[in-house]
Amino acid sequence: MRALLDFLVKYHHWLLFIVLEGLSFTLLFQFNHYHNSVWATTANSVVGRVNVWEQGVIRYMKLGEVNEALTRRNLILEQNNEELSRKLAELTHDSTWAERQQTLRLSNLKKIPAKVITNSVLRRNNYMTIDRGEVDGIEPEMGVVCGTGIVGIVFMTSRHYAIVQPLLNGHSNISCRIRGSGYFGYLRWEGGNPLYAVLDDIPRHARFKVGDVVETSGFSSVFPAGIFVGKVDAIEDSNDGLSYQLRVHLGTDFSQLQNVQVITQSFQGELRELEQKADSVAKL
Amino acid sequence: MLFTPLQRLLWMVVLVAAQMLVFNHIHLLGYATPLPFVYLLLLFPLGTERWRILLWGFACGLLTDIISLTPGIGAAAMTLTAFIQPLWLELVIPKDAVDNLQARYNTLGFWPYVHYATILTGVFIVAYFLILSFSFHHFGDFVLSLVSSWLLTLLLCLTFEGFRKKHE
Repeated sequence: MRALLDFLVKYHHWLLFIVLEGLSFTLLFQFNHYHNSVWATTANSVVGRVNVWEQGVIRYMKLGEVNEALTRRNLILEQNNEELSRKLAELTHDSTWAERQQTLRLSNLKKIPAKVITNSVLRRNNYMTIDRGEVDGIEPEMGVVCGTGIVGIVFMTSRHYAIVQPLLNGHSNISCRIRGSGYFGYLRWEGGNPLYAVLDDIPRHARFKVGDVVETSGFSSVFPAGIFVGKVDAIEDSNDGLSYQLRVHLGTDFSQLQNVQVITQSFQGELRELEQKADSVAKL
Repeated sequence: MLFTPLQRLLWMVVLVAAQMLVFNHIHLLGYATPLPFVYLLLLFPLGTERWRILLWGFACGLLTDIISLTPGIGAAAMTLTAFIQPLWLELVIPKDAVDNLQARYNTLGFWPYVHYATILTGVFIVAYFLILSFSFHHFGDFVLSLVSSWLLTLLLCLTFEGFRKKHE
């Protein structure tokens, strides 16, 4: 306080100068219309510029949030675009009957679109990674399909990614049937050509021919019935001679796979739990 | 000769009255308007308290504003000139000058006095015209008015100083 008083005493003429100039300019703007209007216009212009600058800074600071929102929106639009493209292709091209049927069957299920980020077809046990995980609602044992047929089953999940065990894996075993006849067997891949798999355990009395459609049987909680898998390419006897072994030309070209959809069934968890209980009771 | 406050007041009244009655009506060639009431500030001797000069300057400017219907313009310009006057006088006056030396023809010499008066009237006129016009929309006219008014004001101040010398 003392220092302030000393300062004011020492520089009192500065203070007086500022006060007198302030008084003069107050009179100037108060009683001169011209000066008053020029001052008001200039002040408005300056305030306007400062506001524009301030808004620019605020907008720049919020760019991170905007970017995030745009990315989210982009993802939704991408999904919509994919869906619309598929519908457009359906309407403008003569797509195969199987594909149309598959779309029809899948249209009633909840599907999560995903992109394949890593894939292999050359190993005996191939795996692929998709860009959706637990946060997107993906769980192990969910079925994965694409526009041309089934792909595989979700094997493991992390928060943002999932590993899929495709048909082209030695451990894959998917229940399938021949469309129209109802005879079913288990589809497995023997390695080698990624376009062909083997359908085992078709009874010898079953009636079918080369070219018949193979589809999912619906006997598991993973895939609903009727999803296209491929077509019968060749018919052979099984090793024990008790059943047929069919060579199936797969609908899915795994070497070019990019977009897939994960099927989520409402009662999948409940069904799986029931199956596990039944297994444990049977073991007793 | 140093002024008493009464004499200074008398000078102020005379200068303001002359401004009101005579100089406000002069617009030489439509541009030059003399404002010689700034002469009051040239009279303050060395060592005068700065607050005194500021108050005198403000009062004289305000009085002129009231009679000229230009509120604030003269007061602001005179206050600025009053703030600069002691600083400028210290620079113009020789180092060995006495404490209360007044700037005159015979104390500084003719040309140093002209130098002293030119700068102070210049500061005043520039401030006055800048505040008066408050824009540079007619820059040519502005400069012409400013320079011609400056010269006329300076001439009148030098005349007043000569008149004072003659009557002492």
